[in-house]
Amino acid sequence: MSVDPMAYEAQFFGFTPQTCMLRVYIAFQDYLFEMMLVVEGVILKKLDAIPGCQISPSQIRKCTEKFLLFMKDHFDKLFGRMEEVLLQLVLNIPKNVLLPEDRVHEQYPYSKEEFQALQEELQQLQQQCRAEAAAGEALRAELEEQKAVMGELEKILQCFNGLENICREHGTGNFKESFAFLTQNSKKLQDALKEVEEKSKKMEQRDENA
Amino acid sequence: GNGGDGPTGPAAPGRAQVFSTVVDTFLEKLVTAGSYQRFASCYRCFYKLQPQLTRSIYDQFISQLQSSIKEEIQEVKNEGNLEGLFNSLDKIVEEAKDRAEPAWRPSGIPEEDVRSALVPYLLKHRSYLRKVLREKEEENKKVAKSVLAGRDRIAELQQLIQARKQAWQ
Repeated sequence: MSVDPMAYEAQFFGFTPQTCMLRVYIAFQDYLFEMMLVVEGVILKKLDAIPGCQISPSQIRKCTEKFLLFMKDHFDKLFGRMEEVLLQLVLNIPKNVLLPEDRVHEQYPYSKEEFQALQEELQQLQQQCRAEAAAGEALRAELEEQKAVMGELEKILQCFNGLENICREHGTGNFKESFAFLTQNSKKLQDALKEVEEKSKKMEQRDENA
Repeated sequence: GNGGDGPTGPAAPGRAQVFSTVVDTFLEKLVTAGSYQRFASCYRCFYKLQPQLTRSIYDQFISQLQSSIKEEIQEVKNEGNLEGLFNSLDKIVEEAKDRAEPAWRPSGIPEEDVRSALVPYLLKHRSYLRKVLREKEEENKKVAKSVLAGRDRIAELQQLIQARKQAWQ
């Protein structure tokens, strides 16, 4: 016959019911013995005070033992019955009862595999978060660069705008066209000059040969 | 006990009540067994000599035994907060009264049991991470839009500058 360790009850009460019962049994028994010794002591003292007493201490000891044996017998029987009732009705948790602190176990009966899957899912989510954070950093960095570049480009445009404004202010008409015309003309001049040089070289040679 | 409150009649005695009753019954029966007759019969020689003294010694013995036992019980109740525990256990049992199947019990293997205890925290963590991920994704979408718009703007500016350059050639 296996003994019920009453571990669940111990979880609730903070002690094992059987241990509690044992402690109480020992305490009660100690009191019983103690009281009996006191009784015997009192009787012996009283006997001492009686002159010419025929009763010996060993007789009294026999009386004490007789009474104690009788008491202990009843005490054990009665205590046994009390213990049985207490362990069955008071210091016990019925099989269908779940302690509130253990509700999670019925709510989330996760197997080893399910638990692992959940852990892996968490790892994956964490990685995704990190990836998104990194992407966010990169995007924001590019945004900053763009700001700088746009600034420079806009400055250049401003320069051009500035030039055109100056031209308009000083009434040089379409300065751009004139400038472009000049550039083209100077190119034409250069070509013309080159032609003239070559022609004069040829003329010189003819003169020399004549 | 809480007495008869409700149509179902008087409530069954709670654990605290049963405990008191059982202990009182034990004492009662013990005292009955250890009767004065029995005591006097064992200590016959002394009884013959001093019947009154025998009576008073017995009375003191019995009363002292009873109070020591009652004190011990009270100490056990106080130390373990038994009254409170009995009452909460009664409530817990009452709440489970419609349930027939045996309830979960610790498996004895801590790694197994701790899993279920951890699950609610993991689930909370998971919904937190999902939320954070969603928020980051939304934010990044917005920033990405700005970045694309910025690229377009830069291309536009570069084209404008090219055009101006050409006009000045």
